[in-house]
Amino acid sequence: MKTPVKPAIEETGDAVTRRKALSWLSGFGLFGSLIITVFSNLIFIKPRATYGQPNRFSIGKPEDFPSGARVSLDARRVCIVRDGDKVAAISTTCTHLGCIVSVSETGFACPCHGSHYDQDGNVTGGPAPRALPWFQVSLAPNGEIEVDKDTEIEAGNYLRV
Amino acid sequence: MSNQTTSRSWKSLLDLPENVWRSIFRNPLPSSDLGRASTSFTNFFLHLHPVKVHRNSLRATYTLGLGLISFFLFFILVVTGILLMFYYVPSTTQAYDRMLDLRGTVAFGIFLRNMHRWSAHGMVAVVFLHMCRVFLTGSYKPPREFNWVIGVLLLLVTLFMSFTGYLLPWDQLAFWAITVGSSIAGYAPLVGKQVKFILLGDTTVGQEALLRFYVLHVAVLPVVLSLLAAIHFWRIRKDGGLSRPVEEDALPADASSPSVEIVQGPAVVMASSPAAAAAAAPVLQKRHYGIQGLVRGPFTKIGNVPDRSVFAWPNLFMAELVVFLITVAGVLLVSLLFNAPLEQPVNIMHPPNPAKAPWYFLGLQEQVSYSAFWGGVGIPTIEVLLLLLVPYIDRKVAGVGRWFARERLLANFLFLTFVIVNIVLIIVGTFFRGPNWEFVSPW
Repeated sequence: MKTPVKPAIEETGDAVTRRKALSWLSGFGLFGSLIITVFSNLIFIKPRATYGQPNRFSIGKPEDFPSGARVSLDARRVCIVRDGDKVAAISTTCTHLGCIVSVSETGFACPCHGSHYDQDGNVTGGPAPRALPWFQVSLAPNGEIEVDKDTEIEAGNYLRV
Repeated sequence: MSNQTTSRSWKSLLDLPENVWRSIFRNPLPSSDLGRASTSFTNFFLHLHPVKVHRNSLRATYTLGLGLISFFLFFILVVTGILLMFYYVPSTTQAYDRMLDLRGTVAFGIFLRNMHRWSAHGMVAVVFLHMCRVFLTGSYKPPREFNWVIGVLLLLVTLFMSFTGYLLPWDQLAFWAITVGSSIAGYAPLVGKQVKFILLGDTTVGQEALLRFYVLHVAVLPVVLSLLAAIHFWRIRKDGGLSRPVEEDALPADASSPSVEIVQGPAVVMASSPAAAAAAAPVLQKRHYGIQGLVRGPFTKIGNVPDRSVFAWPNLFMAELVVFLITVAGVLLVSLLFNAPLEQPVNIMHPPNPAKAPWYFLGLQEQVSYSAFWGGVGIPTIEVLLLLLVPYIDRKVAGVGRWFARERLLANFLFLTFVIVNIVLIIVGTFFRGPNWEFVSPW
């Protein structure tokens, strides 16, 4: 004689059964783990240290740059401008797409997409969206000029040497 | 006794080759339809294909074989790419020398590099043309919408594969193309700078970028592309084979006739006339469920209705073999005639003037010369979104399975405009731009 099999779960309507609660918890746990995994990987692939060039460097004594000089240090991606006793460092990384702009008669010109800048780095033509930034220049205790590419300053701010 | 054993041993030794052969290939070369069917589904590689295939799928003038050519080019790229990996080092001090070694010392080195380079260019072009074929024949219509989406993703992964590979020779061409290309990513709103930093592993293109691009190029992207391609192929079968025109006589003339057994999905019922749909309704109610019933789209076995399918062995397999041989022959020929370009080693001080991206990105670079954000990020994003949404925007079901169907005049016109505008931009960027990206005349 067979006894009818009792259903494992009684129909309880909206009440939170043990099975429902466990499903919710495990779903939450799995989904949460997935999100944590994705974020951990993003954190992992974003480097904490870079191995490229430092952004703060010394470029030599002020005497190395005679008045009127516009010396482009391509490796540092910066142009040292000396005018009388005033010194400034203007970025030579094109604000358009990162090519190195070259010093031209009218200022700067980018070989990649034809952006033009004037002597102070203001855009005079081409697709560049903004002017070339100026970087902070200071005199180090040993008398050398130090450029800090992490600090942008307003155009026209010279260092007097 | 010993005599008997010896002769038995002899016999099994003599039969050895045949026994081994038969244990691998369970079917002898087929001479009957049953044999052709079982050849298809007892072989690992052949069973990926249907046993029977519609005649329309074999028409060279319908598909132009573009999907197959894309896959075979990818196959050539994987083989030549693995071989090149044996001699390549992703280091800024060694990469360029290794390129010279491929020219000078490695046996067939220059030839392998040519094959890899030209197949990569070819794959970008052929995948794009394949997309054009699918659009112009209306093949993204239900039930194939999602396979179109996967196809668009495959195009994007193909472009990214090509972009990451472009940096690896570490010559002037590579360095400046990637400098320009990764700056474009930096223009994306909110996350742009972060994406660029994570992609390059630094603020400028250098050793970290080379290593990252190498890992993406040889490990991450090939796996993603293979997985997407597998889903793409699998869905072709699950969506009822390649698209083809609706056949009026494939629907029962007298649906109440009990001899007709028809198994078909709702897509075709919608596609045909309402009368035919109504006629098919009673049949659908008492349809017979087979394992095929899980697959959408019309099937080949439709009672007394004309059967336009043929066995995959040998028809489909022979066609695939021919396309494969043509593809390989083409790549070999081009690789013998033309050498892959290699410019001067990277010189961070001197960008070439003009600095140009690979040809398929020159349309993008031309756009970028007008506006970095709109040309490099805004318009491409809109274009990709529109491409992804094509099958969900264009819901009309008429004109499927024919090139340039009259019913699809508007859709085809818009798509061809998109294609032609992009090709014109590429041509302008390639031939009409000189130093400082100024307009020059090529003649």
